[in-house]
Amino acid sequence: MDELTREFLIESQEGLDRMERCLTELETRPDDAALLGDIFRSVHTIKGTTGFLGFKRLEKLAHAGENLLGLLRDGKLNADRSLISGLLHLLDGLRSILKLIETEACEGIGEDTELIAELEALQSPALQLVGKNAATVSKPKVQRPKRIKVHAPLVSEVPAPPPSAPEKPEIKPQTTVQEAEPPCAQTKPAANPAATAAESTLRVDIVLLNRMMNLVGELVLTRNQVLQATAADPNMTMLSRRLDMVTADLRESVMKARMQPVSNIFSKMPRIVRDLSQSLCRRVRLEVEGQDTELDKSLLEAIKDPLTHAVRNSLDHGIEPPEVRVAAGKGPEGILKLRALQEGSHVIIEVLDDGAGIDVEKVRFKAIERGVVTNERAAQMVERELLQLIFLPGFSTATAVTNVSGRGVGMDVVRTNVEKIGGKVEIDSHVGKGTTLRLRIPLTLAIIPALIVRSLGQSFAVPQGSLSELVHVPAEEAAKTIEWIEGAPLYRLRGNLLPLVFLSLLLQPGSEHSVEALQDSFIAVLDVDGRRFGLVVDGLADPEEIVVKPLSAVLKNIGLYSGATVLGNAELALILDPGAIAAKAGVTISAREEEVHSTADQECGAEKPVEYLLVEVAGRRAAVLLDDVLRIEQLPLSRVEYIGYRPVVNFEGQLMPVKDSGELLAAARDRQSSGNEAKIIVVVCREGNRHVGIAVSQVLDVAAGSELFEAGTQQRTEGVTLLKEHVTGVVGLASVPPLPASECATDEWSKLAEAMA
Amino acid sequence: MSTTAKSQNSAKTSSLMEVCSVRLGQTWFGVPIVHILEIVGSARSQPVPLAPEYVGGLVHYRGDVLTTVSLRHLLGLPPKDGSQDILVLESVNGCFGLLVDLVGEVLTVSSADYEPNPSILDQRRKALFAGAYKLKDKLLVMLDSERLDPLRLGLHSAN
Repeated sequence: MDELTREFLIESQEGLDRMERCLTELETRPDDAALLGDIFRSVHTIKGTTGFLGFKRLEKLAHAGENLLGLLRDGKLNADRSLISGLLHLLDGLRSILKLIETEACEGIGEDTELIAELEALQSPALQLVGKNAATVSKPKVQRPKRIKVHAPLVSEVPAPPPSAPEKPEIKPQTTVQEAEPPCAQTKPAANPAATAAESTLRVDIVLLNRMMNLVGELVLTRNQVLQATAADPNMTMLSRRLDMVTADLRESVMKARMQPVSNIFSKMPRIVRDLSQSLCRRVRLEVEGQDTELDKSLLEAIKDPLTHAVRNSLDHGIEPPEVRVAAGKGPEGILKLRALQEGSHVIIEVLDDGAGIDVEKVRFKAIERGVVTNERAAQMVERELLQLIFLPGFSTATAVTNVSGRGVGMDVVRTNVEKIGGKVEIDSHVGKGTTLRLRIPLTLAIIPALIVRSLGQSFAVPQGSLSELVHVPAEEAAKTIEWIEGAPLYRLRGNLLPLVFLSLLLQPGSEHSVEALQDSFIAVLDVDGRRFGLVVDGLADPEEIVVKPLSAVLKNIGLYSGATVLGNAELALILDPGAIAAKAGVTISAREEEVHSTADQECGAEKPVEYLLVEVAGRRAAVLLDDVLRIEQLPLSRVEYIGYRPVVNFEGQLMPVKDSGELLAAARDRQSSGNEAKIIVVVCREGNRHVGIAVSQVLDVAAGSELFEAGTQQRTEGVTLLKEHVTGVVGLASVPPLPASECATDEWSKLAEAMA
Repeated sequence: MSTTAKSQNSAKTSSLMEVCSVRLGQTWFGVPIVHILEIVGSARSQPVPLAPEYVGGLVHYRGDVLTTVSLRHLLGLPPKDGSQDILVLESVNGCFGLLVDLVGEVLTVSSADYEPNPSILDQRRKALFAGAYKLKDKLLVMLDSERLDPLRLGLHSAN
């Protein structure tokens, strides 16, 4: 395809998008001259350029549309509903031809006679009017040709209408061209900023951007290697630090270049809402919020369908017909709200409606009827769990549910699509009040935090998003702590049975697994929307920010991997897809106790309870704010070293102070003297920018804390919380004194170095 | 010198093609250089558990992760220890790597020397090979990137 055609396609596409927006707005403000002018210009531009490029079919259709729009703009027609429908059909017609040109480089041989006839039929009331007032209309015409000449460059591109066009409209194009001037003049000041924006922006091929993203990923890897290699050389420190910064900046800029506002997909919604509400006989007002929230281009593409689906669902099953609404004491017009906002590293897109909501009892009934859950199980399920059921594939097609209680069509598709890009779907519904569907989308697809695990002598990446905790199972305890029910391995996690999936067995189905041969292993507890299970791996490495590389189709078809990545040590790692592993291993929505736990996790409403890690320090119970906890390490005592009297742990050159309030280190040393190597447990926490370790005797549990108030004053107490019905002190991380500042540290290090030399 | 003169003579009646020769076991294979994007020497590919057997693994190639096809496995040869050379080939479904033992020189072959697959060749090889060129001292078995495409190999093994 030549450059000119491509440019034409892009421009026309943009013009049609604008036209679509204007058309839906026109419905509310049928007399808005600026809107009409805008619509007219979109079609006019297409017609002009097509003639130039020789697309006859497109030109003919655009011409018919232009005639109609001309009449409309001149006020000879009223923009009623049927007319706007006709114009939307025109829009669809133009789009489909453009699509043909884009894919097959020709406009196809189809005839648009029906559509053209429809457009002509819509003109008829005005044409009769023209016929009557022919005399008055023809008078000003005599003077106008002079003005055309002035604007000759503008007009010259517009070819003469094809001879096949009907007689009457042929008079109109001339008048429309002339009269295009006044609105143009009016909108000029408004069009100016747009022109300057066009000058300072550039169209970039998405393929090039993807390539840049790839190269930046590559640079990040190279940087990691350079940093590792030069860490020892003081001369290189400044240079490598600079490289580090520049790379980070570059990565951010390239990522920013891929960002697009969500208005790109939101703007498609008014049309969908309009069409659907008409065909479903609903009255719906669409409200949009946060249009300029930005999201990676590829993610934006990926959520287009799920979002359309969700909007469709809201209209179909959420918002009731006007008479039902009035009977329920609501206004006849339903409100559908689209909201986008950024929350940390996620963008949240909400589809809210004030419709009928989902009747969970109906869902419960249906679930039992369809055999999705047993009677007893259904009776135990709480509202939130029941709502989760509508995402099940079988459930979605259950027409009875959708007719009676709302929702259900293709919700599994919505969820699958959103999860495919690492997002999450949450739903909230109140009978009679409405439903909120929340799509949680990561800001960018390309780089995600992941935990690197080892199995079969290879590295694999597990996305942090689905990881809830890690459990270490020492070799000698493996036989005891991993229990089996007829070949199904289970682990007792704080009293609840957690189904286990051995990664090595999953990936090498042939290999026999003997309980005796168990080595030191780790259980990564994963939570994939209510499906909780433990993934047993041989080893853990540090968490890493990984650059996701797509896999070829043949490897994607295996179904367990969502991509691959290159680690800091230049090793390749496959990215595991927790959802697919759960499905493959047959993990379903878990037992009741865990449900309660996971619902507590998801309860991220306004009053989210603060969660604490409950630990035991020398016989006393203490709490650490869970959000601060990075990981829990079990270390041999020899790893703890001292700067003066202060205990520190050296993690590959990163020093971390250890708070030892319970004199546990001394106790461990005493134990060590009796022979075998003692181990200590260190909870690694984040305090501001630094990492702090807390030596503990035992990690007990994770629990939600409640606030305590001082008797009498009713003031909230600080540093204490109510955990599992016990008053528990919260470990203050800020009290850990910082390590010696950089100057002293280097001093000390240089002394050390001297001593070594 | 004489060979080039000869091939130039035959060029009047037949077309010439440049072919990269690769060795696997005892056989020399040829891949038209127009299909080759790059030759990566001595790379180690990372195995992918549960992948179809003919997939050699993954290699890191210019910021992308490339799926490789093990020619040894396709021909029923035992896997080779250590690193292999990789031809990066282009097919309609994207790029992939072909793992071979050794990459030889680029030869110019003439269509006059071309022979289709012999009838006694087994079905599996018939599906993989695209005929052979008779060289002076050996036969050069032609491979073509479309037939080796991992996605297509997958379809074949499924049937």
